[in-house]
Amino acid sequence: MKKYIKNLQSDLPASLVVFLVALPLCLGIALGSKVPLFSGIIAGVVGGIVVGVLSGSPLSVSGPAAGLTAIVAAAILKLPTFETFLLAVVIAGIIQLILGFLKAGILGDYVPNSVIKGMLAAIGIILILKQLPHLVGFDKDFLGDETFSQADNENTFSEIFKAIGFITPGAAIIGMISIAILVLFENKKIKRNSIVKQIPAPLLVVAIGLIINEVLKVSNSPLAIQAEHLVNLPVAKNMSDFIGLFSKPDFSQLNNSTMWTVAITLAIVASLETLLSIEAIDKIDPYKRVTPTNRELKAQGIGNIISGLLGGLPVTSVIVRSSANLNAGGISKISAIAHGVLLFASVLLIPDLLNKIPLSALAAILIFTGYKLAKIPMIKEFYYKGWGQFIPFVVTVIAILLSDLLIGILIGGVVSLFFMIRSNFKSSVLVVNDKNNYLLRLRKDVSFLNKPIIKSKLEAIPANSYVIIDSSRADFIDKDIVDVINEYKEHANLKNITVEIKKNDFNEMQDSL
Amino acid sequence: MKSYEKLLLENKAWAAERVADDPTFFTRLSKLQTPEYLWIGCSDSRVPANEITGTQPGEIFVHRNIANLVVNTDLNMLSVLQYAVEVLKVKHIIVCGHFGCGGVKAALTNNSLGIIDKWLRNIKDVHRFNRAEVDAIENEDDRVDRMIELNVKEQVMNLAKTSIVQKAWKNSNTPHIHGWVYGLKDGLIKPIFEMPAGTHIDPIYEYDNL
Repeated sequence: MKKYIKNLQSDLPASLVVFLVALPLCLGIALGSKVPLFSGIIAGVVGGIVVGVLSGSPLSVSGPAAGLTAIVAAAILKLPTFETFLLAVVIAGIIQLILGFLKAGILGDYVPNSVIKGMLAAIGIILILKQLPHLVGFDKDFLGDETFSQADNENTFSEIFKAIGFITPGAAIIGMISIAILVLFENKKIKRNSIVKQIPAPLLVVAIGLIINEVLKVSNSPLAIQAEHLVNLPVAKNMSDFIGLFSKPDFSQLNNSTMWTVAITLAIVASLETLLSIEAIDKIDPYKRVTPTNRELKAQGIGNIISGLLGGLPVTSVIVRSSANLNAGGISKISAIAHGVLLFASVLLIPDLLNKIPLSALAAILIFTGYKLAKIPMIKEFYYKGWGQFIPFVVTVIAILLSDLLIGILIGGVVSLFFMIRSNFKSSVLVVNDKNNYLLRLRKDVSFLNKPIIKSKLEAIPANSYVIIDSSRADFIDKDIVDVINEYKEHANLKNITVEIKKNDFNEMQDSL
Repeated sequence: MKSYEKLLLENKAWAAERVADDPTFFTRLSKLQTPEYLWIGCSDSRVPANEITGTQPGEIFVHRNIANLVVNTDLNMLSVLQYAVEVLKVKHIIVCGHFGCGGVKAALTNNSLGIIDKWLRNIKDVHRFNRAEVDAIENEDDRVDRMIELNVKEQVMNLAKTSIVQKAWKNSNTPHIHGWVYGLKDGLIKPIFEMPAGTHIDPIYEYDNL
């Protein structure tokens, strides 16, 4: 307890910044997920307070995640009611809790980096495409899920073009200004300014959007945005009214199989995103603390159970808010908890103010978040890592865009496994030549699986060559391979090839060479 | 195959393995070097800077000469030092000698070996500064080993006497200078002496108008 009090003067200001970053994100993610905006706030409060108290991570901040919007939006379309979706959230939480007890935290380490990054990039692209119509004030509700072709004969791109015909000029202007502010804040020179550093860009976007619209309204401008393009949080007049705002999960849908699919998908993706975010935030923790992953899964599970019971979105640990926490000087988890309290207080005390926020400003924040997940430099980085990384990455992105997250991750995982096996296979035999001088080097583990490769490589060496077969760096050489080499040694002189064996005298396996 | 041809062949294999492990290795390194260390070591073939410290190409800027000397009139060493400190801005300079150093052994005899005598005279000076301590050691091998340590210490101090190092200490509070000795028998490095940036030396060597 004492250590928490000691850090209060760092943690409380940090919590304010995290709250200011989180508020527009909670609303925006709820908007992107096509659920009541209030449920985004509930998830933010639960993620902050419940997960914050239970988690072992000092810096991680949990709440509604941009990465889940695609799944949630699709699930809302597929499931009969919002209350059924809430049931899926509760069950996803129970699954996470079980995963925590089964010590599944380690599983996060087994998902290849290229697949995780591919998943995030795909989420980013989906966010951008799906929010573009909102940016220009086309807030119709049939915008579809994360698939390209949709039941209403539209696809993501045709929706965007359709939106052009329905532009709400005021919303579009605020959207564009918002994007401009966010881009400007990314500029390195501007970022370095000590005053600018203190202002969270999303908050500024929301404030400016709100002010512009209020000015338009006061001046009776035709550009003023109507209520349908603004945040619409329910305003409670008294406490019982407020309690009535919470939805409850519909437990009668327990036998709905689609609900179970949604629950399992949520549990897996939310766990993955949490583990990934935890790993990332631990990496940049100046005190190099390590978060216990199984405890984190349990904390997230309980968080989701409670969020679902109260009518909130699913929560995960989120990297944007966590890094905002770190950058704002947060030291202990008190800052994450306090941000949850601030969120709760804001809907309770200032809902009228929040309801003046234009949706297009929130869309701009989400589009920018999407861009950060699918940045061009990151894609380039994967390109330069070679095909073994790039192809699984691209396949994951495309598979997710064309199917859904879970199938996409599975396809990406299989492709990446293929490349891993292939590279292990290829890298254990290396042949180079300098004119007629050849070097065949065996590395790592050389099993009988490599036999055809070694045979064909040896046969391809032309007559009158000099060959060094270097086995000194191999950890393991199969008996079969030793036979192949010994046979080659015997008949090589027929082609006037000289063979020299270089071996490690301290490795018994190589004695028979 | 001639022995030098093996080097060319091994080089091809090495480059291929590098690319296989890290496709951007050469494209990245071909653009710039940002080493954190300057290594001043002995030319002895048994003390390769990268191998014994597990470092990769691009990580250590290297100068090697017989008995790892820092001689204030050696244009070669001074040029390396200036470039490393002022352009590459290395954070550490390591003077690394090694036990069993032939240069130090030769300097402790009275044989003339030709032109190298002039170079080894610097080591004879180290002996003169520390005569009482060194001559008190009875075992000859121990005496040579102690001289090797004292020689490294002397070279660290020679670095601190250069205006290049003093200027860098004043302006950027780097580099940190380390004196190490590598053991040929066990492959282990023994730290002997170090000078953090800004250490004061004999005042007569400190320039006050840099």
